[in-house]
Amino acid sequence: MMTLVAKRLLQAALMIWSIGTLSYVLMRLLPGDMAFRIAAGRYGYDNVNLAASEAVRAELGLDRPAWQQYLAWLADLVRFDLGDSLVSGLPVAHEVSHLVLHTLQLAVAAFACAVLLALPVGLFAAFRAGGWFDRCSLVASAFLRAQPVFVIGLALVLLFSLHLKLFPVAGFNGSKYLVLPAVSLALVMAAVSSRVIRHSAVGVIRSAFFDFSRVKGLSFAQSFWRHGVRNAALPVVAFLGIQFAGAIEGIVMIESLFSWPGVGHGLAHAVFNRDVPMIQAAAMALGLIFVGLNLLVDIACYLIDPRERTEP
Amino acid sequence: MSVLLQVEALSVSANDVTLLEPLSLSLKTGEALTILGETGAGKSLLVQAIMGLLPSPLQARGRVLLDGQDIGRLKPALRARLWGRQLAMLPQEPWHALDPLMPAEQQVAEVYRYVGGLSAPDALERSRQDLAGVGLAGAAERLPGHLSGGMAQRLAFCAATAGGAPIVLADEPTKGLDASRRDQVAALLRRARERGAVLTVTHNIEVARQLGGHILVMRDGRLVEQGEAEELLARPKDGYTRALIGADPQHWPDITPTDGAAREPVLTVRGLHKSRGGRLLFEGLHMTVGRGEIIGISGDSGCGKSSLGDILLGLLPADGGEIRRAPQIARHRYLKLYQDPPAAFAPGIPLGRLFDDLIGLHRLDRRRLAPLLQRLRLDPGLLQRTSVAVSGGELQRLAIARALLLEPLLLFADEPVSRLDPITAREVIALLVQSATEQDCAVLLVSHDLELLRKTCHHVVSLGGRA
Amino acid sequence: MTRRLLGLRRGQLAGLVLIAALVCFALLEGLLHGADPASQDLANPFAGPSLSEPLGTDQYGRSMLARLAAAVRLSLALSLLCVVTSATIGVAMGVVAGWRQGLLDKCMSLLLNIALALPGLVLVLLFASLAPGSFLMLYVGISAVLWVEYFRVVRAITRRVAASPQVQASRMLGFGALYCVRRHLWPAIVGPVLTLAAFGASASILALAALGFIAVGLRPPTAELGLMMVELFPYYNEAPWVLAQPILAVFLLVLGLNLLAGGEE
Repeated sequence: MMTLVAKRLLQAALMIWSIGTLSYVLMRLLPGDMAFRIAAGRYGYDNVNLAASEAVRAELGLDRPAWQQYLAWLADLVRFDLGDSLVSGLPVAHEVSHLVLHTLQLAVAAFACAVLLALPVGLFAAFRAGGWFDRCSLVASAFLRAQPVFVIGLALVLLFSLHLKLFPVAGFNGSKYLVLPAVSLALVMAAVSSRVIRHSAVGVIRSAFFDFSRVKGLSFAQSFWRHGVRNAALPVVAFLGIQFAGAIEGIVMIESLFSWPGVGHGLAHAVFNRDVPMIQAAAMALGLIFVGLNLLVDIACYLIDPRERTEP
Repeated sequence: MSVLLQVEALSVSANDVTLLEPLSLSLKTGEALTILGETGAGKSLLVQAIMGLLPSPLQARGRVLLDGQDIGRLKPALRARLWGRQLAMLPQEPWHALDPLMPAEQQVAEVYRYVGGLSAPDALERSRQDLAGVGLAGAAERLPGHLSGGMAQRLAFCAATAGGAPIVLADEPTKGLDASRRDQVAALLRRARERGAVLTVTHNIEVARQLGGHILVMRDGRLVEQGEAEELLARPKDGYTRALIGADPQHWPDITPTDGAAREPVLTVRGLHKSRGGRLLFEGLHMTVGRGEIIGISGDSGCGKSSLGDILLGLLPADGGEIRRAPQIARHRYLKLYQDPPAAFAPGIPLGRLFDDLIGLHRLDRRRLAPLLQRLRLDPGLLQRTSVAVSGGELQRLAIARALLLEPLLLFADEPVSRLDPITAREVIALLVQSATEQDCAVLLVSHDLELLRKTCHHVVSLGGRA
Repeated sequence: MTRRLLGLRRGQLAGLVLIAALVCFALLEGLLHGADPASQDLANPFAGPSLSEPLGTDQYGRSMLARLAAAVRLSLALSLLCVVTSATIGVAMGVVAGWRQGLLDKCMSLLLNIALALPGLVLVLLFASLAPGSFLMLYVGISAVLWVEYFRVVRAITRRVAASPQVQASRMLGFGALYCVRRHLWPAIVGPVLTLAAFGASASILALAALGFIAVGLRPPTAELGLMMVELFPYYNEAPWVLAQPILAVFLLVLGLNLLAGGEE
């Protein structure tokens, strides 16, 4: 168990280092003089002059060689000093922590919807494998998977906001605003996971140990409950780790589409504005959320599978 | 004696192809019925048809009477209610039939609880008694992955019979088990016979002998011969039955090649030892293998026979000791035959091309191939096919041909026939020993069947005993 | 029983036909129609389908046929480049790591671990921010995401094959490593790699459209499918059929590739 946590911590550290390095390169690549730009950010473009930018250069040590600046940049990272936004001038850490809360809110709602959708669909398709419901759910899933996430979001907006006027188009002001983005994300996640659930459950139902359980005298329901659920859950949960990658990609797009004030939207916005400290912080936040979710998946697998715990 | 199970003109077909010809049999209280035959004889289909477990394109015809009721006409749901209560079935591959995530005792206890209607603690208590009764008391809380093949089969036996069914059907219950474990399973089946009746499907003559009772011999979905076990095994009438019985190593003639004069050694081993997973496999092992000598290596599964081979061939480091080969001999003249023939060939590539590769690599004389194939009774047309399109026996003989092309000094044959049917196995072993001897090639023949080694080898080395 | 043609299942065949049709459409338009996708005709916005403009025009009166074909060409070219690059790198590294194991394997696995710590699109976004609007950076970013899967799959297969009796047997018979790669390893990895390639192509098409959609990908007036969707969305009331075109194009491209990959994993 501790090795699982340690592995993910190492991964998180490597991820932070690589994003930090990339951000540093990004900072150096920005056009124009860095000191001048930061001075302009502080005092406004009208008030900045050569003296002010030289003062900034001396203060921040921008005249040092590149590798020293790089080490200083990493040292700031270690102290969780993520710098100020180049656009708003506010501390980035503070801003991102707000965004993270909104993203988590959206993610939890979407995940809950996805489970409510995928579990019954996947299981019912598995119990009647090859039947009409199975085929229909396959076609629906293939259809949804062949769309970019934002097209699904767009379709929902067109239908529920512009035509039926049931939900607001975009923004963030109460739970009504949560419905469409969460449902769009949930549809995408359920499209994949319902099939994973279906395959995994069919695999278990056709397995020799399921047959043997029936032959021992247990009913289908008893066999599925005692032997099916846990064995089928293992690959489904393990697959969640892969699926979360897709979910976070979806969050970036859905938040942008619905102007949801989350990290994904913040990241896209920052990339558009080339606001490097913001890019760095938002990407790290998404990376940390992702690594954290994967750690939860690891722990869940560990708890489900007794083979992981016993000595061979 | 009352008739428990009556089968009348039961046949199985798939899309109008008959796989099992109409067959009738009856099973009385206290009786054992054994169906003997090789792979593809339709034996397993019979058991599945009685249970009502035939997979979808297969269809059964005829009548299966249980207490006078034709259960073949029951709806699937009603038929399933007989499982565990009236009909019990032992699985062919116990490891796959056990839930990998559930401790052993739970897999038996749930039957007492859900089929027998006991409370959870009572069910667990009964389960522990059962497991103790088959010598699994110490393994009750283990997961199936931590059980040996024999232990898994005993656990499966307890789980299958916990529902109290008087009739036990066993489909190849000793597949993959070595002699001592095979005998344990046969003993369990004899015990089940005392409580009701047992129908066993097997290709193993020894299991049939130990179970006694009535024997049906089947081949290609057809009944060949039947009779009481002792009589039939002693005086088989049909040619096929005779071949089947003759294929049991006990009945082999001694085919050990005549011992020549003093042989120059091709391999000398001094004080070899090896441990694996904290367990000592062997130590102080001494062995000298002379040219053309046939040496048997015996021992139960897990005793390190395969590891020994890998060490002798230089594929695995030993923990200590000395291995000396004949001087100035190329590496590729010490070779190995594998237990599972398809695993030793590149799949999807015509065998002929693989042979061409080999001939090209060592600049061999291509004309040697045809007589070698003929010697091993192989049709040259087989070379057009890929390894998956050739039977196991043919592929193992092709593997022998491939090795002999290189004129090896030593061939380590790791259980070369344990995956083959008995009649094929006998033929392959005989051809291996004869053709190797003709080339003056030494063979280290590994088998869990001591009888087989006694009939073929100059002398036998026993490993382990600790397993 | 499913019938097979060219060793493909029915669904895969449908995907192949779909992709072939889209490739033909994109290439033939360039050869036969050849209109400039950027040339505006402001007097003629949202013209309906006609003989000269079978797919109508957009808000600036640009030929939708020309723009759509150019966008499909762009998507296909990018996905092809990304897949070839990432597959070459991923397969080569996977084979080396799986076959030799040891320190090299450890280093590569560390690299893998870093790449796996970030969702793909975030990595692509980071690369995109290095040089906004640059095709090259999108290509590098998407390839940097895609190689991971090839590496993982090929490394696992290589480890299994390298330890298998078939390779042991060939080595004992005197064959060298190159022979084992050709006869044993290559046949085992080529199928999974082709499947991954089809999935990778659809992933890169989706990523390109996604970046265009959130305005951090290629810049207007490039004809790019995601970009076209954002630009046309405000006009969906006036010209829904024009908005539908890029959406349908992405859908068909991705569906075709997913089908070709074998649909279900």
